[in-house]
Amino acid sequence: MRILIADDELTSRRLLQKTLERAGYDVTAVENGRAAADELCKVEGPKLALLDWVMPELDGPGVCRVVRKQKEQPYVYMILLTSKEKKEDVVAGLESGADDYLTKPFDPEELKARVRTGKRILDLEGRLVEAREQMRFQATHDALTSLWNRGVIMELLGRELARAKREDKSIAILLGDLDHFKSINDTHGHLAGDEVLKEVARRLLSSVRPYDFVGRYGGEEFLMALINCDPIHGLIRAEDVRKAIAEQPIEMPSGRIPVTMSLGVLLTQEWGSRPVEELLNEVDTALYEAKAAGRNCIRVADPGTHSQRAAEPTRETIRRWH
Amino acid sequence: MSGSLIDLEELLGRVENDRPLMRDLMLIFKEEFPRNWQVLREAVASRNANGVATAAHTLKGMLSNMAAREAAEAAAKIERYGRNKEMEKFEEGMAHFEKIAEELSRQLDARLAEVSA
Repeated sequence: MRILIADDELTSRRLLQKTLERAGYDVTAVENGRAAADELCKVEGPKLALLDWVMPELDGPGVCRVVRKQKEQPYVYMILLTSKEKKEDVVAGLESGADDYLTKPFDPEELKARVRTGKRILDLEGRLVEAREQMRFQATHDALTSLWNRGVIMELLGRELARAKREDKSIAILLGDLDHFKSINDTHGHLAGDEVLKEVARRLLSSVRPYDFVGRYGGEEFLMALINCDPIHGLIRAEDVRKAIAEQPIEMPSGRIPVTMSLGVLLTQEWGSRPVEELLNEVDTALYEAKAAGRNCIRVADPGTHSQRAAEPTRETIRRWH
Repeated sequence: MSGSLIDLEELLGRVENDRPLMRDLMLIFKEEFPRNWQVLREAVASRNANGVATAAHTLKGMLSNMAAREAAEAAAKIERYGRNKEMEKFEEGMAHFEKIAEELSRQLDARLAEVSA
């Protein structure tokens, strides 16, 4: 664990550094408060600090105040080193944001015990942050595929549509449904079905860009929002997605399972102020057209007309949209 | 003034019986102490109360680390005079400190010779 020592007095710095290094800590030593604040405000900076009270440029309590202003940073545990024993001095030090104080000259055992206390609190904070992140992930992601869950993908889509309208950009909305998924479950079992869904999720993620959104919309339905994607490229990308699913059967212990996906696609810049649900109804209608057309294909929804086109990203299509 | 101005036992405890570290601290002290002492002298001469308090505070810290209690107490007294702006007491406090500091420097050289042997 890294510890920062800030003390302008060389014998103190040397003594602290040696005592802590001997106890197994990785020590960074600085000689003024400004350098200490700079180190502690770095994202990867030390998370535990021993700060002398009286220092040039910025004193120990001043360093505490600067560090505590960094709201988004992970917690930094700060111990003030002081020869001030008056109660009001100690209170002022703790009020500045310090977690503890140690009177100089320090006893090495007491120093190590105080540092261990700080480490315990930081470890606890780390576990709490990890648990919170885990809960946040569980609340926003599908448990099986780790894609965005339905609620989040709808919210993201709504947000991105609003942004696209504001910035006059386009989005491609893709709604894909695995073909004959029920028969995969019936033939290979539900565990195999789950593995298929996981592999499909991986293929979908690898066939879009990192800033596009992919979510599990329903059982075997997936919703994708391709950001800043004009109609021509949107259709090409939809075809990439279809191929990513269909080209290679999924390898399972029980054998190779061929999987295909039908897709409904909405490609337009003319969003107007239509609600997400209305646009999704159109994509859904296009998806059903793709199913009716024999599956493993794409149908494009015409916004507002509720009619669909067979979709191949041909030169003719591209010419028509230009 | 007591016999030994550096409590060697206390100092050894502070460095957890690490004699090379004790020697390092003594060497650092030998180099740093006269410089800080001079800063204090100048602050007293110019009757700069804040400067006196700051320089005396630094010396007090160094001396405490070296387990030189009597000298640290003398420095603490000057620090107090500086903080309270009791300028009329500067010379008296300084005279007492100088006497201890000179003896301390002599003893430190002797200790250094011992630990280096």
